[in-house]
Amino acid sequence: MRAGRWGGELALGVRLSVAGRSGWARLAMISVGVGLGVAMLLIAATIPSLVAARDARLAARAVVAAEPVPRGADTLLTAAVDSHYRDRTIHGRLVRPEGARAPLPPGVTRWPAPGEMVASPALAQLLTAEEGALLRGRWGARVVGTIGAPGLAGPGEYAFYLGSDRLTEDSATRIRSFGTRDADEGIAAILLLLGAVGLVVLLLPVAVFLATAVRFGGEARDRQLAALRLVGADAAMTRRIAAGETLAGALLGLVAGGLLFLVAGLLAARFVPADLSFYLADLRPAPALAALVVVLVPVAAVLVTVSSLRRVLVEPLGVVRRGGDRRRRLWWRLILPVTGLGLLAPMFSGGSGLTDGFAYQVMAGVAALLIGVALLLPWLVAAAVRRLGGGGVAWQLAVRRLQLDSGTAVRAVSGIAVSVAAAIAVQGLLVAVQAQYTQETGRDTGRFQVVVLPHAGTQERWSASLSTASGVRAADSVAQVTATPARSAAQAAGTRLKVGDCAVLRQLAALDACADGDTFVVAGPNAAVPRAGSAYTLGEPGERAPGWTLPASARTVPAVRGDLPQAGTTLLVTPAALRGTRPDLSFFDLYVGLDPADPDALDRLRNAAAQVDPTAQVMLIQTRTVEETLVGIRQGLLVGATALLLLIGASMLVNIVEQLRERRRLLAVLVAFGTPRATLAGSVLYQMAIPVLLGLSLAVVTGAGLAAILQATASAPIRFDWLGIGATSGAAALVILLTTTASLPLLWRLTKPGGLRSE
Amino acid sequence: MASPMADDALLTAEDLHLSFGPTPALSSASLRVHAGEVLALMGPSGSGKSTLLHCLAGILSPDSGRVRFDGHDLSAMSDARRSALRRTEFGFVFQFGQLVPELSCLENVALPLRLAGVGRRQAQRSAAEWLDRLEVADVAGKRPGQASGGQGQRVAVARALVTRPRVIFADEPTGALDSLNGERVMRLFTAAAQQTGAAVVLVTHEARVAAYSDREAVVRDGRVREQEYVR
Repeated sequence: MRAGRWGGELALGVRLSVAGRSGWARLAMISVGVGLGVAMLLIAATIPSLVAARDARLAARAVVAAEPVPRGADTLLTAAVDSHYRDRTIHGRLVRPEGARAPLPPGVTRWPAPGEMVASPALAQLLTAEEGALLRGRWGARVVGTIGAPGLAGPGEYAFYLGSDRLTEDSATRIRSFGTRDADEGIAAILLLLGAVGLVVLLLPVAVFLATAVRFGGEARDRQLAALRLVGADAAMTRRIAAGETLAGALLGLVAGGLLFLVAGLLAARFVPADLSFYLADLRPAPALAALVVVLVPVAAVLVTVSSLRRVLVEPLGVVRRGGDRRRRLWWRLILPVTGLGLLAPMFSGGSGLTDGFAYQVMAGVAALLIGVALLLPWLVAAAVRRLGGGGVAWQLAVRRLQLDSGTAVRAVSGIAVSVAAAIAVQGLLVAVQAQYTQETGRDTGRFQVVVLPHAGTQERWSASLSTASGVRAADSVAQVTATPARSAAQAAGTRLKVGDCAVLRQLAALDACADGDTFVVAGPNAAVPRAGSAYTLGEPGERAPGWTLPASARTVPAVRGDLPQAGTTLLVTPAALRGTRPDLSFFDLYVGLDPADPDALDRLRNAAAQVDPTAQVMLIQTRTVEETLVGIRQGLLVGATALLLLIGASMLVNIVEQLRERRRLLAVLVAFGTPRATLAGSVLYQMAIPVLLGLSLAVVTGAGLAAILQATASAPIRFDWLGIGATSGAAALVILLTTTASLPLLWRLTKPGGLRSE
Repeated sequence: MASPMADDALLTAEDLHLSFGPTPALSSASLRVHAGEVLALMGPSGSGKSTLLHCLAGILSPDSGRVRFDGHDLSAMSDARRSALRRTEFGFVFQFGQLVPELSCLENVALPLRLAGVGRRQAQRSAAEWLDRLEVADVAGKRPGQASGGQGQRVAVARALVTRPRVIFADEPTGALDSLNGERVMRLFTAAAQQTGAAVVLVTHEARVAAYSDREAVVRDGRVREQEYVR
């Protein structure tokens, strides 16, 4: 009986939500707001399955060299020939089936014959496009088929299988099947921590935004409820009717969010970089997370509505807000931040023993601290504005408005405060992580910019091939041979000899002075420095292996990070220092200098290298290396933060517009008796700026503190990224300024004296 | 009392025309207001009396015709100049007071002075005096929502008078009050206006309110039909 009556009241609320223009407008505002939030939640819920589906496909085509596989009718020889074309990464494999039952990778229906290629759709398209003209000659193969979706990370991936009759057991891996069970090769715990914090950081402001969105048009709704009270609805009934109205908006918002999610997915699938491309079929939110969104969003919407009505007395003759005189209490607002600190406190000991439980603890701690910002801000603003006074008319209007009711402005700002606190914390962690994962190599790229690592071909052939490549200005080789000490077996491990001229040896070690005939010693951290006169056998020990003695003139020098193995000892020898010794120098690397004015020089070099040996690696010499996962996380956070700022800006704009509309008649009266519009604009700006300033201050303190805790967790020295803090706060302040500016045209329109007309 | 046809009019409207979309609100409306007189604009709902008041006050610009205050053409003035005029020479009272809900009654009354550049203390001192004269000193520290309707309206009258304007425009100032409170507001309002020498343009459809005026003008179909002395 009671349930039926409640159902009827909820239904009345739903009916009222579509009553009249203002009802529709409110419904539209709530559903668009909720829709935006839901779309972001669904995107977050999709990431795990998106990554899992991608990883599963990559794992299914992986080549694992485990135990030696004997040749058979079911074996295949294959070698990776990954390459680059301009800014694109191309994943390739040379393949040579050894029998009729040679395994096929996912997405491939038949093997290409030598000189033929099975390419991904993106690569096939590139090879036929004008943009890919330079790439067409690289492998000189005819595209005879395309790789299907099961064999690709995403539709934008550039990938191929190239048939080869030159692959041998020595230069390739023999396999019976593709794929590995270990889809996840593991991610460093600290990066996992960073990603987890980032996720919490991005989702919390969405939750704050959702709570704001369901209050859109609240004042108009309250007046409507007062009219219902006049015709006999009691207070509990009005709450249920209001709940029904919000529920309608939230449910419509769920639908809108689903549609927005699909549109965002379609747009993202079209515009994301090839490396991050995904199939639309992968856009499936994790069912449990999606169910949580579908259930929790409407429930939370109703709870927020009912909770907001606690501060309002809806009476038959009008609405009385009782927030103004009520002091906000501090004690319960401190519970969550203190809990957060409690959860994070053990992390000060460092994150060496990072586990899944640890990650959850950090996520919970970070979430509690950030939610604490949202809870503390209303108290902080109320306490601060209570003490404010003085100033001009604009200031006075704003301060008095905030003193009477700061809730609306604070709700709009709390999202941005949480985001800024979170962004500062993540930046702080990024600074720490970046220091750990970025290495200054100290390498000189003045003469050589590229190193080529061949697996086949003689030095002469390589020299001839590279010298004809347009845009190649210099090419030099450094050969390597094993150096086995004649007397001490203890020094045998890891001693190697590299032969090259001074220019190329400078790529490997910091040489102060060098002339042909010089010899240098680079000792690893735990390796003993060999004495002058030490005798070595060069190459595989045997009767024909030549001997060589370390000259007394040999100088010990530090290595340049990059090409030399850290362990063991490396002897750098100029050709004249070999004094007629003729070791086997068939293993060599090539250092190549390119014409900086020719943007295609690098790709011509890659083409030339592929002609000699398709499996040769062509690598840019980098002065700095950054962990790729870190780059990915940074990109993800940047995209998320941008979307978030737009979301918050939109939310604030709706809030301002709603407030202005509610006060249109008062504004018109103020203008009627001569209030300059600049005064009113100033008042709007101050009403936003005061909570924002307080919110940013709280955010900076919380964010910096959180960053320090996370840095300690990552066992990194604590340091504050003031530039990042300034940039983040500045971006947030800019959003406020832009939002206020965007609301000014409406203010001008509403303050036209014609707003006094009531007929 | 000045004659309606005398040439020393403080505020004149000449042949005003104004339409809102296809609906004409004023059709050749003309009127003169003299210094110190209380003029009641009467007429049925929708007759154009409030629109005429807004044109006289420079709040609305007529499509054609001219409004002059003290010899100056309002339609030739910039928006900023008209705003300044409203701030210093005119005062306003509306049906629901339209006080700023966040400010105290004292601050509401002081607001026009502050907008005119008067310092806070001096503005509040003047405001307190006016609240006292209008017998609402006891609500000075309260917000409008905490005062009764009659008190709020007297606060609005004090706000209109505090700058000692030369013309006060009152649009149904007692429309939301019971008769007892309405009488009280009008008595205090007209007495205070007389003391300052301000002219009052009073829009009303109540005869008992119009009885406080020196002269009545009836507005019908956007035109001022009759003007006569009531005292």
